[in-house]
Amino acid sequence: MNGSNVRLILAREIRDQVRDRRTLFMIFVLPILLYPLLGMSFFQVAQFLEEKPSRVLMVGAKGVSDAADLPSLVDPQRMNRFDVRLFSDPVQVGLLELSFAPEEPRDGPEEREEPWRAARRAVQAGEYDAAVFFPPDFVERMQRFQRANRSRLEEKTSPAEATEPEDPLPLAVPEPKIIFSTANEKSQIAFARLFDVLQNWRQEIVKDQLVAAGLPTAAARPFNVATSDVAEETGHRGAAVWSKVLPILLLVWAMTGAFYPAVDLCAGEKERGTLETLLCSPAERSEIVLGKLVTIMLFSMATAALNIVSMGMTGWLVLAQLPQFGPPPAMAVVWLSLALVPVSALFSALCLALAAFAKSTKEGQYYLMPLLLVTMPLVVLPMAPGVELNLGNSLIPVTGVVLLLRSMIEGNVVQALPFAAPVSAVTLGCCLLAIRWAVEQFNSESVLFRESERLDPTLWVRHLLEDRRPTPSASAAVFCGLLILLVNFFLNTSLARWGRVESITGLVLLTQLAVIAAPALVLTLLLTTSPRRTLLLRRPRWLTLPAAATLAIVLYPTVVGLAATVHRLYPVSDVVKKQVEGVFQDANIWHLFVLIAVVPAICEELAFRGFILSGFRHLGHKWRAIVYSALFFGLTHSILQQQLIASLVGVVIGFVAVQTGSLLPAIVFHLIHNGLQLLMAHWSRGISPAVLDRWPGAHFLMFVEDGSLVFRWPVIAASAVAAFVLLRWFHALPYEKSTEEERYAAQLRAQRRDD
Amino acid sequence: MIRVDGLAKHYADLRRGKLVALGGISFHARPGQIYGLLGPNGAGKTTTLRILSTVLLPTSGTATINGYDVVNQSSQVRREIGFMSANTAVYDRMTAWEMVEYFGRLHGIARDELRHRMEVLFGRLQMNEIRDRLGAKMSTGMKQKVSIARAIVHDPPVLIFDEATVGLDVLVARALLNSIAELRDHGKCILFSTHIMREAEKLCDRLAVIHRGRILAEGTLEELRDQHHERDLEELFFQLISRHDECHPPESEVDRTLEAGRDR
Repeated sequence: MNGSNVRLILAREIRDQVRDRRTLFMIFVLPILLYPLLGMSFFQVAQFLEEKPSRVLMVGAKGVSDAADLPSLVDPQRMNRFDVRLFSDPVQVGLLELSFAPEEPRDGPEEREEPWRAARRAVQAGEYDAAVFFPPDFVERMQRFQRANRSRLEEKTSPAEATEPEDPLPLAVPEPKIIFSTANEKSQIAFARLFDVLQNWRQEIVKDQLVAAGLPTAAARPFNVATSDVAEETGHRGAAVWSKVLPILLLVWAMTGAFYPAVDLCAGEKERGTLETLLCSPAERSEIVLGKLVTIMLFSMATAALNIVSMGMTGWLVLAQLPQFGPPPAMAVVWLSLALVPVSALFSALCLALAAFAKSTKEGQYYLMPLLLVTMPLVVLPMAPGVELNLGNSLIPVTGVVLLLRSMIEGNVVQALPFAAPVSAVTLGCCLLAIRWAVEQFNSESVLFRESERLDPTLWVRHLLEDRRPTPSASAAVFCGLLILLVNFFLNTSLARWGRVESITGLVLLTQLAVIAAPALVLTLLLTTSPRRTLLLRRPRWLTLPAAATLAIVLYPTVVGLAATVHRLYPVSDVVKKQVEGVFQDANIWHLFVLIAVVPAICEELAFRGFILSGFRHLGHKWRAIVYSALFFGLTHSILQQQLIASLVGVVIGFVAVQTGSLLPAIVFHLIHNGLQLLMAHWSRGISPAVLDRWPGAHFLMFVEDGSLVFRWPVIAASAVAAFVLLRWFHALPYEKSTEEERYAAQLRAQRRDD
Repeated sequence: MIRVDGLAKHYADLRRGKLVALGGISFHARPGQIYGLLGPNGAGKTTTLRILSTVLLPTSGTATINGYDVVNQSSQVRREIGFMSANTAVYDRMTAWEMVEYFGRLHGIARDELRHRMEVLFGRLQMNEIRDRLGAKMSTGMKQKVSIARAIVHDPPVLIFDEATVGLDVLVARALLNSIAELRDHGKCILFSTHIMREAEKLCDRLAVIHRGRILAEGTLEELRDQHHERDLEELFFQLISRHDECHPPESEVDRTLEAGRDR
């Protein structure tokens, strides 16, 4: 890598972008204009919403407004308004416009229902935003209630006249109803307004009663609730809003700012024919990628920064006038700038790789949507209430950054700081992966010289079937993996919906045979000429079989330890735990052994270490093949916690399969691993710590927690070391390389020779 | 200087199965020589030259330039060559001077020396009036001049021209051919691909007639004329091609090769 070449390319690309009017508009002009305009329109929209009065239908309210001994509900002067005293802010009187339903003579019970139904219909049809329905006997019952109260009072004051009270105090109070619709926003607003008014009215009635009883009005409200906002004192007023808005803004604009230059610098160069000029210059592919990457990063950062500054200024000048908003906290600038670099780097590398794949700028633009669809959930997920910054969440790419930023902007710096390390590590890791992907795109001639071909499915299928190779292609491996995942997903969801497979036997056999093994076998027969090579059906060296078995046993405590860590990070919900336990409750252990250990060991190995691994071997490096096949293997497991562990175990099995060139050691490892898990779970179910007393020294190796056995860390360390030694032994085995792997190795050798 | 040995390139093609763009060609070009690759469109000329410029990887066979292997020592190879084809365009948003300077710097030429070299080059190619013109505002001829300047600014021992005169008017094409001849006289090894007989006749010291990924005939112009008893190159070319097509009709061939009109 030559630094001066990278600088040269960087300088050229920046100059190129600066000379492009479209880029300048997107990056500099748009943000400066956008937010002040948005701020202005926000105000207008807000005013528009505020000033719209709600139309309310009053049913059966005639008697209510006429009733002498009730506080007035309706303004006696203007009959279409509520009484002004019922509003805390007198301006709001005009926001409720009343209409009165015509009073009709009521006779039978059917006629009694009529106004109620009419009111509902009127609200449904949208003639009114809401309606208030007073039952016909409302006034009468209220008056009776008041009379009863009064006589009780008199009875108390003059106990000499011990007369029976006219009416006992009724237990059930009358219920006026508000008719509204939650499906309609205007109706919801009307409901909220009406509810406040009726509540205040009720308060007035209570007050009157208290006055009549000679009690102070404070009797109904013995205390008030006052509030004090600490955010106000620390300058974090409005931080809650800003801490949600600013991180999203940062991420979205960092991505947008990266996307357009990336498309222009890669797809655009392809289209204009200048990419080949650059490719046959002495600049290395990695130098070209780095030069372009840094350019894109700079533009991404500039876009995000300008947008945030513009938004911040608008917020500071305009939104700060609203009582519920404050200006953005000053420290936010620091946190946002710190986060900007890694976030921009990540998005720039992603956009670069995508744009390098595109053949033309037009095709490049199409990739924005998929990129957004993948990224948006990660950005929006942390906005869900209850999602907090913890170790588990901080390990999710993008989401971790948003959560960390949110906590920082909210002012919880001390609590958030420990998570900066995992978040940075994950972001950096993703960044490096994305950069590698981009470099790969630039090294792949099929990507650089892609031609638009007419899509013809029949031809394509014919090509797949006719031009078969001994082992499947990488895309066939991806197809097989996705097919298994999809079928598995639909099977599980449809089983959950339309009924259950009664026995666990049926479920396991269905999943393993039909969902996992069958697609791999069918695709092997259809798409390859050598099932033996594809599925690694070869006799291994005999020593590898006991070695694989030993590895499985030796590695077991490490896997259990890892699983425990994963479960601490992402606790399994109790519901899921119960379900998993319930499955194993009352089955014969050897029956279960076949279902959990033997069948999956064969079926899953055929699919993941057979077809899929062989396909990925064409990518040029065995580790890539191993990791990709392990990821697919992990994803077929149903809960996240299992997926993580299974992916790791999948890497080990994949490695064993590659090094031995045979599926048998992989099956042996898988069988013993699953078997151990099952047997340990079976034997240690409901175990008491006393069991360990039977064996001397057992306490030093393990302990009992929540009714299951847990290994102590020296055991785990010893297990990891022993496993490492065994893996070294596997590593030393000569293994068969694919053509692509041979070529890659030859290139590496030549490069080393040159250096 | 350029040594090509059994070079082959296959593509997977949905429509036609395995597609042989190059079926194992071999030739050898020396310094002070213009070696012509003469073939119809889609013969495999561009594929060959792209492999030599390290942009494509061969499926099999080897090629070395100045002793460097195009697959394993690609960066050294790119320092030794100046490559110019219809596919190596000029940047729209760069002036002629900036463009040539950029590539000169990428070749690691020191600033002062580069400046001096560019002054000479711009004078010789009569490019001084387009010095500060953006690529987007240039005519085809101007762009072609910039491309030449870009390809030879680092004074490479090997030059590769792929259909360099396509789209040029007679005057510019003639000037270009003259500069290529001049470069040969300076001792460069030049690989020149074309489908125009006149150019090949005028310019090339040795010729290889290439068709459907194979070399049909190879030698100096005189040797070819004597071997095939035909003085007129165009006639000779046509005979070679049609004879080959008669013996190997495209359909009956096991490895279906590129059809005319399609160049990869």
